Amino acid sequence: MTSTACFIIVSRNDIPIYEAEVGSAAKREDAAQLHQFVLHAALDIVQDLAWTTSAMFLKAIDRFNDLVVSVYVTAGHTRFMLLHDSRNEDGIKSFFQEVHELYIKILLNPLYLPGSRITSSHFDTKVRALARKYL
Amino acid sequence: MREVWVITACLALVDATSIQYNDEDVAPETEKEFYRVQGDLYSLCRIKLLRLAYLIGYGTEIERSPVNSASLSMLPWPKPAVWPSVPDDATSEVVVKEKMILQETPRVKHFGIQRKPLPLEPTILVREANRRRSSLSVGNSSEIFYGRVEFNDGLAADVPAKMPQADKAHEFMMSRTYSSPGNFDCSIGRPMRLAEIFVAAERALKKTISNPDLQKILSSVENFEQKYMELTKGAADNYHHSWWKRYGVVLDGEIAAVCFKRGNFDLAAKSYEKVCALYAGEGWEDLLAEVLPSLAECQKSLNDEAGYLLSCVRLLSLDKGLFLSKERQAFQSEVVSLAHNEMTNHVPLDVSSLITFSGNPGPPMALCDGDTGTLSVTVWSGFPDDITLDSLTLTFMATYNADEGGKLRNSNATVLKPGRNTITFPLPPQKPGSYVLGVLTGHIGQLTFRSHSFSKGGPADSDDFMSYEKPTRPILKVFKPRPLADLSASISSALLINETQWIGIIAQPINYSLKGAVLHIDTGPGLMIEESHSIEMESNKKAGHGSVGTANSGDATKDSSVAAKDCSPAADKHFEQLCLVSGKIEFPDWASDVSSILWIPIRAIDDKLARGSSSGAPEKQSIVDRMRTIALKLEFGISKNQIYDTTIALHFSDPFHVSTRVANQCNDSTLLLQVVTLHSQVNATLSVYDAWLDLHDGFTHAGQGNGRPISAFFPLVISPSSRAGLLFCLCLEKRTAEDENNVPPENILNIRYEIAGDRTIGAHPPVTMKSNENAEDTSKNLVFRSALVLQQPVLSPCLAVGFLPLPSDSIRVGQLVTMKWRVERLKDIEEKRVPQNNDKMLYEINANSDKWMIAGRKRGHVSLDMKQGSRIVISILCMPLVAGYIHPPHLGLPGIDEVSITCSPAGCHLVRVLPPAPSSSFCVPA
Repeated sequence: MTSTACFIIVSRNDIPIYEAEVGSAAKREDAAQLHQFVLHAALDIVQDLAWTTSAMFLKAIDRFNDLVVSVYVTAGHTRFMLLHDSRNEDGIKSFFQEVHELYIKILLNPLYLPGSRITSSHFDTKVRALARKYL
Repeated sequence: MREVWVITACLALVDATSIQYNDEDVAPETEKEFYRVQGDLYSLCRIKLLRLAYLIGYGTEIERSPVNSASLSMLPWPKPAVWPSVPDDATSEVVVKEKMILQETPRVKHFGIQRKPLPLEPTILVREANRRRSSLSVGNSSEIFYGRVEFNDGLAADVPAKMPQADKAHEFMMSRTYSSPGNFDCSIGRPMRLAEIFVAAERALKKTISNPDLQKILSSVENFEQKYMELTKGAADNYHHSWWKRYGVVLDGEIAAVCFKRGNFDLAAKSYEKVCALYAGEGWEDLLAEVLPSLAECQKSLNDEAGYLLSCVRLLSLDKGLFLSKERQAFQSEVVSLAHNEMTNHVPLDVSSLITFSGNPGPPMALCDGDTGTLSVTVWSGFPDDITLDSLTLTFMATYNADEGGKLRNSNATVLKPGRNTITFPLPPQKPGSYVLGVLTGHIGQLTFRSHSFSKGGPADSDDFMSYEKPTRPILKVFKPRPLADLSASISSALLINETQWIGIIAQPINYSLKGAVLHIDTGPGLMIEESHSIEMESNKKAGHGSVGTANSGDATKDSSVAAKDCSPAADKHFEQLCLVSGKIEFPDWASDVSSILWIPIRAIDDKLARGSSSGAPEKQSIVDRMRTIALKLEFGISKNQIYDTTIALHFSDPFHVSTRVANQCNDSTLLLQVVTLHSQVNATLSVYDAWLDLHDGFTHAGQGNGRPISAFFPLVISPSSRAGLLFCLCLEKRTAEDENNVPPENILNIRYEIAGDRTIGAHPPVTMKSNENAEDTSKNLVFRSALVLQQPVLSPCLAVGFLPLPSDSIRVGQLVTMKWRVERLKDIEEKRVPQNNDKMLYEINANSDKWMIAGRKRGHVSLDMKQGSRIVISILCMPLVAGYIHPPHLGLPGIDEVSITCSPAGCHLVRVLPPAPSSSFCVPA
């Protein structure tokens, strides 16, 4: 398990639709904002990289000192962004793939309007469980 | 130090690459890459500069923004394992620095937002600096080891990896950091103060830096700021060029912060707006919450009221968790006070994200055409406190046509509580169609605000794009004009004329409330309402069957429930007596939803005496004579705006239709038996108790009787639409000619009867007037009078016309036939009765000229002897023209009254005419 990790799902319109601090480290007060800041800036890089490869998992695209941003882009251009400090690329890849499945399930929900905030607590629990498992 | 080196190197690289770079002949990709690298270099350079500035005590000047905090706090401290110590001669500088620290006041953010400042250092500088120093003094080898390993990683690869001895390491450090080893001891054991650290760092740097530019930059705060701006701008511009807008915009925010600090609010606001636009557009609220207060402050300083208000609203509409409620209240009070006081020009403010509204859940409100209503709208307020809106206007649009629509105005001051509010608007009558909510506008003081967004029923999402993706649900449906109520007569059969009768008027609401309805009754000529009697109203038992039939199929379910209610127990049955006030009746409340019957006592007046018919078949009485109309106008609806006008035709009639005929004429010509046939005209059982004939001249009752039938037969019960007969024996009186001329026979038949009928069906016992209630029983019996024309056996036929049989059975087309009629005089003609002077008699033969060709005289006179029994045969030659069954020619005697002629033997009605015989001449060859 990594000590710090922040997972954000960013919609097609660059709007964060899901955020979770999944790190095991004690939270710093400013961490959330800092992480958001780093992830937001990383969108610039994603925008460049996303079209250069056909793979969904873009691996580590950005580093911020010891924090690494890994990104997974779905077919609908929804981006899963993970800010983490571990080097376990396989775990991250599995994590992303599982979250992708969860996300698709959310999308299939007829009451969910694509692009709106994900408020499902079930989704949240599952994501956190996955984070514990893989990261 | 490494930082210095990096700065110099970066700047050099930037310059070098810029010189090398020729932006004319490169691929866009390369161009982007170039700018990105430049941006990276600039920002790296910038960070290093910040770090140095912090070390020498310019930390207070550094904006504690997320970007600075992120880059600095995650960057480890520079690598010297041992911190430079304070030079001896630097006491004055230390004092200056300390003063600076003391003077430093944390900048108070606008709106009283208080946040823990973001850190600019990875660990507290004082502790770090002292730790690195003290570690040496206490000989903590592990710390030294740690520090040295870091050192290895970082800078000097040439240094031997393992150096366990503290002193060696110490020497090494000293040599690298140029700090004097002599000073070192003096401060051992005493932790350095912050100011001392700053001074020590500054001294150390000054010794290190060879570049005069850099020296100058670090020499004063102003110079540092200038360089800092330069680097930040360079980084931002380059990032923008490389399309890394997020990087660029963040740095714009830094520029703005500096501008702001310098009081250059215009530039600052512009840059902040850029930043806010990006964050707001992408919905990163945490970041937006950081920048927006600064923007608001700039706008306030610039006196940009619109922008400032908008910023306040945006602040308020951010996620509630981002600000404390006290801060949010500050935002609101800011808006309110501005709205009430300082507004010079009216600025429309878009508060779509803050105040949202929606129609009430559930099906849209349904109104009938022309109705007013009250529309209640749910308004969600995102303000942290109650807010008073001076007026509120809501527009709504028709879905079929954007031009149609209206405004709802609620000019009263409305207090919006945080969260859900329900506001009702009076709704003027609208055109048919379905409507959706449009825009909510209102005033707070002098501030006009408007909101476009609909909320689904929960607190609004602030994401702008969500608002317009929400389907707009119609909130109001105004139906096309349709019948809302029906008034009809409950009876279809005739009522008794000249008697007070109840007429039932069914008032049937058609899915519409008749609450407070008023019925105007206007009777037509020949009809009057018995005002002395109250009007009765009762619920209509049969409504269930009727309403389903009249309702639209779509509303059948609703209707059937109404029907079910109607059919349910008798407890629902209402009965009430109402008063007619100047031709108006007000409906009671219970009648608003159920079908009801109004019973109105009414009397149709007809002065004419009923006339009996004298022929065997009763002649049709003109229905129109006995038809009366009653005009009804029902005013109902919420504001009596719905009017239903109708005219109900009521049919009145006599209880009987009387016809007479002579049943037999005795040989004695004076005795007649007249049968009076009573034909019941009404749908009620009639009991005849008595009947008598008042005879006029010319007739007398035969025998000793008084003209009444035998009383044992009474009461004679006549069921609806059946007939009964009465036989009267009459004698013919001898009269003179003068009598006959003067007095026309007007015989009156009187029938005393009683009627037993249901008012729901038709005729019924008349409404007893109150004054008559105590009268004797006989008064209940009604008397029907009818004038009769009694038949005299005045004439017997005097001529008989007989059609003689045709000579052969079959006549053919083209064949000549002789038609013969025999005319016989049956009795002597009295001179008086037949105005015929001579024995000449006019005859005329009528035939259809298409079917018959007539040869001979069609019209002429023949002479017939005046004596009884004289006869004559009129013959005519004719030829049928068509085959088939056709009417034969007809002999008419125009000069003689038809009643005087009998046809005996009766002529045939049709004759058979065969087609012409085949002509043989055509078959024989010539």
